[in-house]
Amino acid sequence: MHDEHHDDRALDALLTDAARHYRVPPEPALDSIWARVEAQAFPPAAHRRPARAWRMMSAAIAASLVLGVTLGRLSARGSFPVASTPEVAAATGSPAGMRPAAASTGRLDNDPYQRTTEEFLGRTALLLASLPAESRRDGDHAQVAAQAAQLLGTTRLLLDSPAASDPRVRALLLDLELMLAQVARLRAPQRHEELVLINDALTMRDVVPRIRSVAAEISSGDY
Amino acid sequence: MPRGAAIATSSERTDDERSLIARAVVGDRLAARALYDAHAARVHRLAYRFCGDAELAEDLTQDVFVVVFRELAKFRGESAFSTWLHRVVVTVSLNAMRKVKRLREREADLDEARHHEHQSGDIEPDLRSRLNAALDALPDGLRLALVMHTMEGYSHAEVGHALGIAEGTSKARVFEARARLRTVLAGDLEDM
Repeated sequence: MHDEHHDDRALDALLTDAARHYRVPPEPALDSIWARVEAQAFPPAAHRRPARAWRMMSAAIAASLVLGVTLGRLSARGSFPVASTPEVAAATGSPAGMRPAAASTGRLDNDPYQRTTEEFLGRTALLLASLPAESRRDGDHAQVAAQAAQLLGTTRLLLDSPAASDPRVRALLLDLELMLAQVARLRAPQRHEELVLINDALTMRDVVPRIRSVAAEISSGDY
Repeated sequence: MPRGAAIATSSERTDDERSLIARAVVGDRLAARALYDAHAARVHRLAYRFCGDAELAEDLTQDVFVVVFRELAKFRGESAFSTWLHRVVVTVSLNAMRKVKRLREREADLDEARHHEHQSGDIEPDLRSRLNAALDALPDGLRLALVMHTMEGYSHAEVGHALGIAEGTSKARVFEARARLRTVLAGDLEDM
């Protein structure tokens, strides 16, 4: 009688052997492959593109933020046909004051704040996520300090905007203001130890997970 | 190693990788190189397992990382970076293998086959050749699942993610691949 268990065991033995012998690659020329990858993925002309894109994005965010804050202040003064009363917000199920314009017209809504907050949180998360590696790197930290200084300005504008009327967002923004202020100080020399402390604080306060949580809610419209 | 220490190490590694990804996204080539160094050997081995051609495996490795660094900003971190990377490996490899007809011709290249069938083991060379031929003859979908799960040690969930199929489908493919091998090698298996 044919023994299937025997065949299975024999096949297992063959496949174990195959794991060692079937199409086992020769030693790859990894450095040479990297040189080709680098040439294609990071061509010289593109090296500076992210930095330019970063600056342009910063300018765009700053512009949209100023626009958003201005619109919000105009709305609050009644220059727009907006009924931003708590009653209207409550009737639409929105957190008080978070979507005043959308509640009234459905057109002039809170999107500039949402977009700006979302972009700001994304950039901040990116920056903060890079800090552990940055703290292990010797040399100055001027680049991250400069990015933090930019983001710090945005944080303060957001804190003055309706985007900060949600208590959880406001608490997060206040934490980020503190963190970014500390990172922005790294521009001065001999600040490496501070960066280590900032990293510890980031971990203790769960800052990056909280950013992701709030950003996800903004994206999904639960904000 | 204490369990806590293992978790901390794994967590640190994940943090490192996240920060490398964040830096690579904004064009930091040193971070990109660090990611490449961490994964290139495994990507190359997997590519070679798929295509069986040294030159093509290097081209595939190159193509995979070019795609990875171009698309890295789209990586959301919902799965492990390595899982996402292996999906790129599978996609790039399958696309290339469909296009490169010479692969089929190369499979008859006995010289190269002999090159990799050196070292003696418990399996006699002729049987190993028949096994290799049987593996080569499997349809791509079955062979990839079998190679990834049985030879490279990926879980069915990882294979499923990489191949874009359900975990259960991965199990079914490995089962089917083994069944076909049992049929083709029936005489050999009985003699073992």
